[in-house]
Amino acid sequence: MGESTITGARIRPAVQLVGLRKVFGTAANEVVAVDDVHLEIGEGEFFSLLGPSGSGKTTVLRMIAGFELPSAGAILLEGQDVTRLAPYDRDVNTVFQDYALFPHLSVHENVEYGLKVKGVKKTERRRRAGEMLESVRLAQLGSRRPSQLSGGQRQRVALARALVNQPKVLLLDEPLGALDLKLREELQVELKQVQREVGITFVFVTHDQGEALSMSNRIAVFNHGRIEQVGSPRDIYDHPSTSFVAGFVGTSNLLNAALSHRLFGVDAVHSLRPERIRLVHAEVADGETCVSGTVTDIQYLGADCRLRVTLDNVDGTTSGDRMLATVASDGLVGVALGGPVRLAWPRFAAYTVSSTDPTTDQTTDPMRVDFTGGTPP
Amino acid sequence: MTTSSKRARWGVALLSSLALVAAACGSDAKSAATTAVPATAAPTTAAPADTQAPADTQAPAGTEAPAETEAPAGTEAPAATDAPAGTDAPAGTEVPGATDYHWTPDAGVLAGAEGQVNLIAWAGYVEDGSNDAAYDWVTPFQDLTGCKVNTKLGNTSDEMVQLMQSGEYDGVSASGDATNRLIVGGDVVAIDTAKLPSYADVFDGLKLKPWNSVDGKPFGMPHGRGANLLVYNTEAFAESAPDSWGVLFTSGNPSDGAVSVYDSPIYIADAALYLMATQPDLGITNPYALDQAQFDAAIALLDQQKALVGQYWGVYTDQQAALEGGTVLAGTTWQVIVNLAKANGATIDAVKPVEGATGWSDTWMIAAKAANPNCMYLWMDWIASPWANAMVAEWFGEAPANSKSCGLTSDPEHCATYHADDEAFWTDVWYWQTATEECVDGRTDTKCVPYTEWVNAWNKLRA
Amino acid sequence: MSERTPVGGHSAPLRGVNRLFRRHRRLGLAALLTPPVFWLVVIYIASLGLLIGAAMFRLDPRSHKPTTELTTENLRTAFTDWDFVNVVVRSVFVAATVTVLCLVIALPMAFYISKIAKPWARRGLIVAVLMPLWAGYLVKGYAWKAMLRPASKFGIDKDGGFLASVFGWTPGFGMVAVILALTYLWLPYMVLPIYAGLDRLPPSLLDASGDLGARPLRTFRSVIVPMLVPSIAAGSIFTFSLSLGDYIVPKVVTEGKIRLLGNLIESTLLAPNQPLAAAFTLWPLMIIITYLIGMKRLGAFESL
Ligand SMILES: Nc1ncnc2c1ncn2[C@@H]1O[C@H](COP(=O)(O)OP(=O)(O)OP(=O)(O)O)[C@@H](O)[C@H]1O
Ligand SMILES: [Mg+2]
Repeated sequence: MGESTITGARIRPAVQLVGLRKVFGTAANEVVAVDDVHLEIGEGEFFSLLGPSGSGKTTVLRMIAGFELPSAGAILLEGQDVTRLAPYDRDVNTVFQDYALFPHLSVHENVEYGLKVKGVKKTERRRRAGEMLESVRLAQLGSRRPSQLSGGQRQRVALARALVNQPKVLLLDEPLGALDLKLREELQVELKQVQREVGITFVFVTHDQGEALSMSNRIAVFNHGRIEQVGSPRDIYDHPSTSFVAGFVGTSNLLNAALSHRLFGVDAVHSLRPERIRLVHAEVADGETCVSGTVTDIQYLGADCRLRVTLDNVDGTTSGDRMLATVASDGLVGVALGGPVRLAWPRFAAYTVSSTDPTTDQTTDPMRVDFTGGTPP
Repeated sequence: MTTSSKRARWGVALLSSLALVAAACGSDAKSAATTAVPATAAPTTAAPADTQAPADTQAPAGTEAPAETEAPAGTEAPAATDAPAGTDAPAGTEVPGATDYHWTPDAGVLAGAEGQVNLIAWAGYVEDGSNDAAYDWVTPFQDLTGCKVNTKLGNTSDEMVQLMQSGEYDGVSASGDATNRLIVGGDVVAIDTAKLPSYADVFDGLKLKPWNSVDGKPFGMPHGRGANLLVYNTEAFAESAPDSWGVLFTSGNPSDGAVSVYDSPIYIADAALYLMATQPDLGITNPYALDQAQFDAAIALLDQQKALVGQYWGVYTDQQAALEGGTVLAGTTWQVIVNLAKANGATIDAVKPVEGATGWSDTWMIAAKAANPNCMYLWMDWIASPWANAMVAEWFGEAPANSKSCGLTSDPEHCATYHADDEAFWTDVWYWQTATEECVDGRTDTKCVPYTEWVNAWNKLRA
Repeated sequence: MSERTPVGGHSAPLRGVNRLFRRHRRLGLAALLTPPVFWLVVIYIASLGLLIGAAMFRLDPRSHKPTTELTTENLRTAFTDWDFVNVVVRSVFVAATVTVLCLVIALPMAFYISKIAKPWARRGLIVAVLMPLWAGYLVKGYAWKAMLRPASKFGIDKDGGFLASVFGWTPGFGMVAVILALTYLWLPYMVLPIYAGLDRLPPSLLDASGDLGARPLRTFRSVIVPMLVPSIAAGSIFTFSLSLGDYIVPKVVTEGKIRLLGNLIESTLLAPNQPLAAAFTLWPLMIIITYLIGMKRLGAFESL
């Protein structure tokens, strides 16, 4: 991935990670949590670290915050090397997954804590904390203890407590993970709004690809401690550069080399989004690839339907290759379970991806459908 | 981590912690061990050769005696009896006849023996051979009567009174400062001397005394008597051995700051005794009969003594350890403590000072509600019988109560040394006695300070 | 196995009892609480009443037994005589000093065990802290006496105890000895609640504090200690009341020279002067109750 592909980057990077590596455990029994991570996060960016559980996102975040020392590599904040600095000497703040609010302090005191520690005068920090609570709409609850708040309210206190310090970078570790879906969607909007208002760089960890896509300027997709791809949500979605990304972000048909060879004459794995596929009732348009097969399953999703199709070979026999297609429900005329079907997609909708270790990237996302297992004839 | 290495780590942790505890206990364990070594009391040297345990005894006492004893324990047995060695033999092999102990219990009482007796006693009064295999008058008693002896040691007379008030004991070895309280309190009853053959042999000087009788009725069996002594470290007092209680009450002595005082209100009498000799104008004639002015003077003396004190001892082993360790260089003591400490190598000696001494004349008393009255009668008779009384007198270092004991002590001079029948000697020994409002010296023109006030004053002094 | 298997293997009467309890929750609660409440009321409250009552009896000076005659003399002696109040003050001082010392030692100790030591070392250290509790109380008292023994010019072992022979210095048998020995004895009772409290402390709170700019000491002061207050209070209840009530170790390690409340009560009881001893006993009772109320305010009982 070249620098040229970075679309949202500003002139000055707020965070630079250079060859970052973190190894846990003893020499005999080591776990490489983060490996050779290079990253530049621009000032004012809403940057997401996306990846499955255990892929090293939290570890990267903790190294930026200073809670963990990297085993190798460097961390720069606004161009300044902070690799060895303690957390309290770094101008970053964190919103923890469990919020980590101080239970013995009131909401107001929690928000004031950082200012108090830095020696900000009482009246000044009162005012700033009050304003901050106002902006997260908690002004009325300042005297409560964290234990007397709802989950969403706690989340906002945690946000206020971090933001009030006006850090250069705000680190958020799955801040919405503990909330129910409805509240999460509400807070996603709110969070994004806050970020736009304060203009602080956000580094946002999530394993929810929807969340990452909808909120971020850019996303880094992690797998096994390494970055698979960095790019804008569109980039990542439309042009996943590896089969892992294609599978992890959204749903993809991964067409194996043999099938690709038959269809495109190219001997490489291709990725094809199901929603780019259409049903062919009459004829195939120019520049489209067309296949035929048998419907093995129809999933009704409301406006759309999801078809599972087993592809035919050129000679009309059934091949082992399967394909998933998302089509409009009202266009589902003449398609029946077990019946024949023809599918087509624009040529450019399928593109090559580099194949990462196929044994490991299959199990990560329940949403994705496995197509690489198709046996060539 | 493998299971075995985990276990090994646990083991290391356990061991190192144990080592810590052991290190802390180290020096203490040493002194404890030395205390356990049997006291080679004075009698050893005097023991005639024919007291050797018979060769055919199955269990020579030596098997029980720690290896450190130079002589077989049998040699320490009192003259004219091989009994002590035999007492270690398993029952049936060599049960000695009662005559060996010069004791014939009342047959009627013996027939009613309950099987056990619960005693409150001074340390050294009820020995079962565990301190010194040669000093065991509990085992023969148990063999002869079938009464198992359970002993609770009392550290002070006050404690003994308190224990007797609990009603859980059959009898007590009460000193004169406890007897009256027990009699008045109804905790003990008069004895029937007809059931106590040994009573006839008790020195007349110990019978029917104010502290052990009421209206001519005896309230117990005399046990023996002795004086509280002045103990001193012979190295510290190498230049001149002390012969006055002044060592404990005035400064300028090698023992300043290392004086050991008996921690009981009765010790006020020791101060009074010293004042009796040194300040005649106070008019003290009996250290247990103090009017307010005399009492205050005694307390003032004790208050001033505090600066010299290095130890207030309640448990005799505490004083023994301090005498051995050299942290105490002078003090008030009992002969038995001196014997034990000397046996461990302490360089000490004890004297009865020129001022005289407080002392004790002890009486075994039977509880009013004794659960085992027959065994208690047997014990009272046994402890005052010639052989047993000789044993306890030598072990504790006091004068026996039974006149026939004098012929049975291993040291033939024991009775002479302790002035058993020398009434003149006892004129300046003031047996412990309970102070009452009516002055015990016979004064009627004034009120004396009662013992309850002694307790309060002692508590305040020690506060 | 079909899903319609009848529930449970209870016999019919048992099931009846079960149902009864389920229907009348109060009844179940009462059955559960009656024994302890009975114990509390009869054994504790009643004996407390007896104690206060006992303090009101006059002592017969001749037999040294309580009479049935009532008097306030004992209470007056126990509460107004300056000599005795002095002992109380000294005892509270000792108990408070021991508690503070235990706290000062236990805080870093527990912190090290809980947050710094490697997980495998942690268990060993906890065992090491608990180990002395397995040794006899008297053994430890006499061990301290042996360690504290000063060197002497005379006597069998002139080098003195461990401290004197190894460090050439010992505080001797005085107030310092009492405080040292008691601190040693009761330290585990302070370490354990604090350790438990630290264990409950979410590590993310410490990260959060550092993240907000607090240096370790500041975090300790502003987050750790305040959050440990209930644990500290709980530990201090142990160290304070155990120290206040102790009388054997003070006697042993001072050669009987320093007397605390417990010694006063013991010697009065043995005198025997039960009424006055009962009156003295009201002192520690009052102090401990006051202390407990204070500690309850700090939330000590939530972390027991
Ligand atoms: N303190 C630690 N000691 C040992 N291994 C660790 C430690 N912290 C993390 N790891 C390991 O490092 C890897 C990455 O962990 P990390 O917490 O960064 O994952 P994550 O991407 O945040 O996952 P999740 O989405 O589940 O939070 C995991 O395999 C984890 O087991
Ligand atoms: Mg994580």
